[in-house]
Amino acid sequence: MRGHLKVLGIESTAHTFSASVVTEKDGVVTNAKDVYMPPEGSGIHPAEAAEHHLSVAVRVVREALVRDSERGSDIDHIDAIAYSMGPGLGPCLRVGAVTARTLSLSTGKPLVAVNHAVGHIELGCLLTGAKTPLVLLISGGHTMVVAHSNGVWRVLGETLDLTLGQLLDQMGRYVGFASPCGRKIEEAAANSNRYLRLPYTVKGNDVSFSGVLTAAKKLVDGGASFEDVCYSLQETAFAITTEVTERALAFTGSRELLVVGGVAANRRLAGMLEMMAKRHDASVKVVPPQFSGDCGAQIAWTGLLAFRSGEFLPKVADSVVRQSWRLDTVPTPWRS
Amino acid sequence: MEPGRPAVKLLYRGAEADVFRGRWCGMPAVYKMRKPLLYRLPELDKLIRSQRTVHEAQLIHESKLAGVSAPHLYYLSPQDALLVMEYIDGERLKTVLLEAGLKKARLDELGEEFGRSIAKLHAAGIMHGDLTTSNVIVDGGVLSLIDFGLAVHSKKLEDQAVDLRLIKETLTGAHNSVSERFLQSLMSGYSAVLGRERAEAATRKLAEIERRGRYARVE
Repeated sequence: MRGHLKVLGIESTAHTFSASVVTEKDGVVTNAKDVYMPPEGSGIHPAEAAEHHLSVAVRVVREALVRDSERGSDIDHIDAIAYSMGPGLGPCLRVGAVTARTLSLSTGKPLVAVNHAVGHIELGCLLTGAKTPLVLLISGGHTMVVAHSNGVWRVLGETLDLTLGQLLDQMGRYVGFASPCGRKIEEAAANSNRYLRLPYTVKGNDVSFSGVLTAAKKLVDGGASFEDVCYSLQETAFAITTEVTERALAFTGSRELLVVGGVAANRRLAGMLEMMAKRHDASVKVVPPQFSGDCGAQIAWTGLLAFRSGEFLPKVADSVVRQSWRLDTVPTPWRS
Repeated sequence: MEPGRPAVKLLYRGAEADVFRGRWCGMPAVYKMRKPLLYRLPELDKLIRSQRTVHEAQLIHESKLAGVSAPHLYYLSPQDALLVMEYIDGERLKTVLLEAGLKKARLDELGEEFGRSIAKLHAAGIMHGDLTTSNVIVDGGVLSLIDFGLAVHSKKLEDQAVDLRLIKETLTGAHNSVSERFLQSLMSGYSAVLGRERAEAATRKLAEIERRGRYARVE
C-alpha cells in the first residue's frame, strides 16, 4: 500500500470541463476548469458544449498538472487517471473519456471510472469533514436526498420532474439569461420581498417543480416584476426542498446534513436548511462555493478512493461512458 | 379556538406535526398540530399548514364514507392548523404482528381485514400514502386506519401499487417471519372488495415498480 497516492481527475459531464490533482495527504492540490457558456437565453447544446470541451481539454489538463509541477511533480508522479463515466450528456462525457484514455495509453497509468453524483458527495465529505451524513444533492442534473446504507448511497427522496438547477436555469433563460442562472436569480430575488403565490408540491418524500416553473413563467407573462417572481420562486422551491430534507432527517435521525451540488452555493437555501436542522440538533455542512459546481476535484478524489479499494478500474477498451447511471446502483467499497 | 380541555401528553413529534393525547368534551382525543416552520415565509407557511389540515380532515371524512374505520373528527381549525379527533383505543398492528404465539387464523383474519380496508379506500380513489403497520389500530376484529397526513386523491393504478408497495416494504422489513402469509391474506381481502381483475392488475404494477426501482427518474 502506498502512503501518498496522487490521482488526476477529469470532469466533463455537462457545461464544465475541469481537471484536478488530489493526493491522499493534502486532498485537493489543483483544480483547473473552463466552463462552456451558451448564448444568452439558451441552455446547453450538447454538441457545442462538447466542442468547447475539446478546444480547452489540453490546456485545462496542463494547467492542473503544471500548477502541480510548481510543487515539484508532474504526470509521472500521478498514480491513476480518473474520469467521470456518467451520468451526463453523451457528447460531453466522451471528451473527458477520450482525454483520460489518451493520457492512460501514453503514460501507462490505470484508468478509474467515477460516478459524477458519488463524486459530489465524496468531495463534500472530504472538504467539510462530514463522515456519513444525510446528503442533499442539488444541481442541474440531480435533486435528491440521500443516505448511505447497505453499501450504496440510497435515495430517500428526489424530484419527480425538474431538478432545482433546471428550475432556476429555465426561469433565467425565459427572461434571456444564459445558463447557469442560479446566481442571477438569487441576486434578483434579493431585491424583493413580495411573495406571489406559486404551487407548492410535495409528494410524500418526493418533490415536483414543473408546476412551479409553469406558474412562474405565467407571472412573468402577466407583467409581474422579475424580482418578485425570482423571490417567490426561490421561497417556494427552497421551502419544498427543505421540507423533504426535514422528513428524511427526522426519519434517519442523522445529526449531520451535507449539502452538495451547484445550487448549494445559494445562501437563502443554506439559511433555510440551517433553521430546519437546528430543530433536529443537526449540523449543516455546505460544500465550499468554489467546489459546489461540477469540478475535476470530485472525480479525482472519488477516483483516489476507488483506486485505493481496487475497484472501478476499467481497461481502456472497456472505458465507456454511461449517460444514465443511477447513484443508488454504485457500490462504494471504500465505505465498508 | 376553544378546546374542551388542553392537550396533555405528547405522543409523537414528527417533521411536520406534533401529536398530543388529551380529551375533547370529555372524550379521549388526539390533537394533531402542524407547527409553524420558521424556514418558510410566514404567509406561505400558514397557507400550507391550513390547507393540509383541511385536506387531511376531508380525506378522513371520505374514508369513513367509503366504509373504512378511521378516527371521528371532533374539531378542525384551519387558522391554527389543528385537528382534534377520536383517540382510537387498541393496539398498533405493528405490536400485534410482533406478538409471540400469534395464531395463524388470527394472522389471516387481520390480513384479510387490512386488505379489505385498503381496497375500500382505493375503490373510492383515496391513496393513504403512509400504510405502515404503525398506522393501523387493532381493536378486536376492527381495524382502523390513522394518520392521513400524506393521503391523496388518485384513480391511478400506479398510485395504488405504490400504496401496496409500502406495506410490503414495511412487512418484509419489520415482520419478516409472518410477511408472506400476511400479504397473501391481505391480497385476498383486497381482491374480494376490488375484484380479481383490478387486484391482479395492481399486483402486476407493483412487480413492475419493483423491477424499475423505487424512483422513476435520475439522470
